[in-house]
Amino acid sequence: MTSVRHIAVVCPRFADGATVGGAETLLRRLADRIAASGRQVTFLTTCAQNHHTWENNLPPGQKKVGALDVIYFPVDENRDISTFLRVQESISNRGAVTREDEEIWIKNSVNSQALCDHLKTQGNAYDCIIMGPYLFGLVFHAAQIFPDRTFLAPCLHDEPFAWLSIMKDLFGSVRGFLFNTEPERELARRLFGTPDERSAVVGMGLDVFDAHPESFGHKHGMTAPYLLYSGRREPLKGTPLLLDYMDAFRARTGRDVNVVLTGSGAYDVSPELAPHVLDVGFVSEQEKHEAMAGALAFIHPSVNESLGIVLLESWLARTPALVHARGEVLRWQCARSGGGVWFRHYPDFETALLRLMDDPPLRARMGEAGRAYVEREYAWSAVEARLWAALEILHQDR
Amino acid sequence: MTSRMKQESDSPLFTVHAPDVDVDALVREIQATVDRKMADGVYADARIARAERANLIHLQDEDQFLEFYLRCLRDVASVDISDFEIRERRRGLAPLLVRLKKLIWSLLKFYTYRLWSQQNQVNGLIVTAVETMDKKYTERIRALEARVRELEAQNSPSDDA
Repeated sequence: MTSVRHIAVVCPRFADGATVGGAETLLRRLADRIAASGRQVTFLTTCAQNHHTWENNLPPGQKKVGALDVIYFPVDENRDISTFLRVQESISNRGAVTREDEEIWIKNSVNSQALCDHLKTQGNAYDCIIMGPYLFGLVFHAAQIFPDRTFLAPCLHDEPFAWLSIMKDLFGSVRGFLFNTEPERELARRLFGTPDERSAVVGMGLDVFDAHPESFGHKHGMTAPYLLYSGRREPLKGTPLLLDYMDAFRARTGRDVNVVLTGSGAYDVSPELAPHVLDVGFVSEQEKHEAMAGALAFIHPSVNESLGIVLLESWLARTPALVHARGEVLRWQCARSGGGVWFRHYPDFETALLRLMDDPPLRARMGEAGRAYVEREYAWSAVEARLWAALEILHQDR
Repeated sequence: MTSRMKQESDSPLFTVHAPDVDVDALVREIQATVDRKMADGVYADARIARAERANLIHLQDEDQFLEFYLRCLRDVASVDISDFEIRERRRGLAPLLVRLKKLIWSLLKFYTYRLWSQQNQVNGLIVTAVETMDKKYTERIRALEARVRELEAQNSPSDDA
C-alpha cells in the first residue's frame, strides 16, 4: 500500500494513562499500528481527559507519543451546557425532538473550533482522516471539512442518538466506514442505508497474554469464586443490573460468589452484597488480566457495545463470559466464539451461572474456545490485513 | 471499487463457532430449564422483581416474562408492616434492651402504621391498575392481530391465481 502515507486520526480524547474508553482505546491502538507500519500518523484530539466535565486540563500543542504526533486542541468553552442537557434528556427519553433541537444539541456538544480550523488549513496534507465515535459535535463537524477523505469509525450502538436525522447527514456524507463488528455494520445499514461498498469490518487487535489464574485471588486474599466486570461503572454499562442480580443470586441460591470490579465510577450496592464486592479500581493491565484469568466468569451486562474489548480480553485469559441477550454485538461474539452465553432476565442469569459453576469442564472448554477465537480473529495480523485492505480500496476509489 | 469491495464482502471475514462448544444449544437448554422452573413457580420471588428493576426496559418484548414479573410485583407490593419478634444478642443487658426496643417499636408503629398501610393500599392499587391495563391491551392487540390476519387473507391472491 503506497497511496495512503499520511493519516490523521481524530478522537475527542487521547487514550493515555487513566484516560480510557472503548472508542478512545480503539482509535489509539489503530493509530499506533498504522504508525508502526511506517505511515505518518497525526492524532488530533482535545485537551480534555474527563468525559463528564470536558475540562481542558492538558496543555494545548503538539507532543510526540511513541511514533504518533499528537496535537491537543482546547474544547470550546462557550457551550450552553444547560440547553445541551435539556435537549439531550429529550433525545434520551425518545421524546419529540425537532431538527432545530438536534442542531442545537450538536452545536452545544463537545466541540473544538481550533481542531476544525487546523483541519481546514492543514487537512490537505492528510491522505485520509479516520475519526470517531460518531455522537460528538467535534466528530460531526470535523467530518464535514473533508468528507471525501474521511473514514468514520463510528462505534455505533442502537441508542436514541443514532436515530437523529442529523446523523443521517453525517453517515451519508463521509467516504467510508470502519466498523468493529458485523452487527454494527448491519445497524448502520438499517439506520442510514450505508452501502457495503463503502464500509469494512476491521475491529481492533489484541496482544495475546498469559496470566496465572491464582495470582489475583492470592494477592487479595480471596478464596470464594468471583464474577468479574471491568470498565466504567454506570447504568448505561449495566452495572446496577449486575449488582442487583448478584444480590438476588446470593440470597436465593446460598452460593458464595463474590463480585470483583475494576475500572471507575460510583455505584450503589446493598448492605447484604457490599461485603462480597471487591472494587480494585484502576489496575495495571497485568493485574486486570490476572483478575480475568481467576474469575469464574466475566460478566458484561452492557447492551451498548460495538466491539467488547474487555470481553475479548477475558477470553484471552481463558475465562467464559455471561452477556446480556439484548447486547447484539456481545451476543454475536459469544455465538461465534463459543466462549459465552447470554441471559434475557434474572432466571436465565441464575440458571446460566449455576450451570457454569457446576460444570468446570464446560467452563474450561468455553474459555479455550474464546481464546482460540480471539487469537484467530483479533490477532493484529488479521486486523491489520482488514485495515490496509479497507483503507487502500476505499481511498483509491475516491 | 464496487466489484473489488463486493468480492471482499462476499468472502467470509470471520469464521463461525468453536468446534466443540455449541453455545446456541447451551442457551436453548438454559432457556428450556428456565421455562420449566418458571412454570413450577421457582422464580415466584419478590427478590427477583427487585433485581429486574434495571432490566425492565429490555423486557418489553418478553410477554411471558412480563406476566411473570407482574406476579412478582404483586408479592413485593405489599410491604410487611406487622409486628415481629424483637431479640437482643448481647447477653448482659438483653432483657432491658428488648424492653427498650419494644417501646421504641410501639412508638414508631403508632406514628407510622397509618402511613405504611396507606402506602400498601397505593402499591396494591397501582399493581392492580398495571395488571388491568396489561390485560386490556394484550386483549386489544390480539384482536387487532387477528383482524390484520383476516384482512390480509381477504386481500391476498388465492393460490390458484
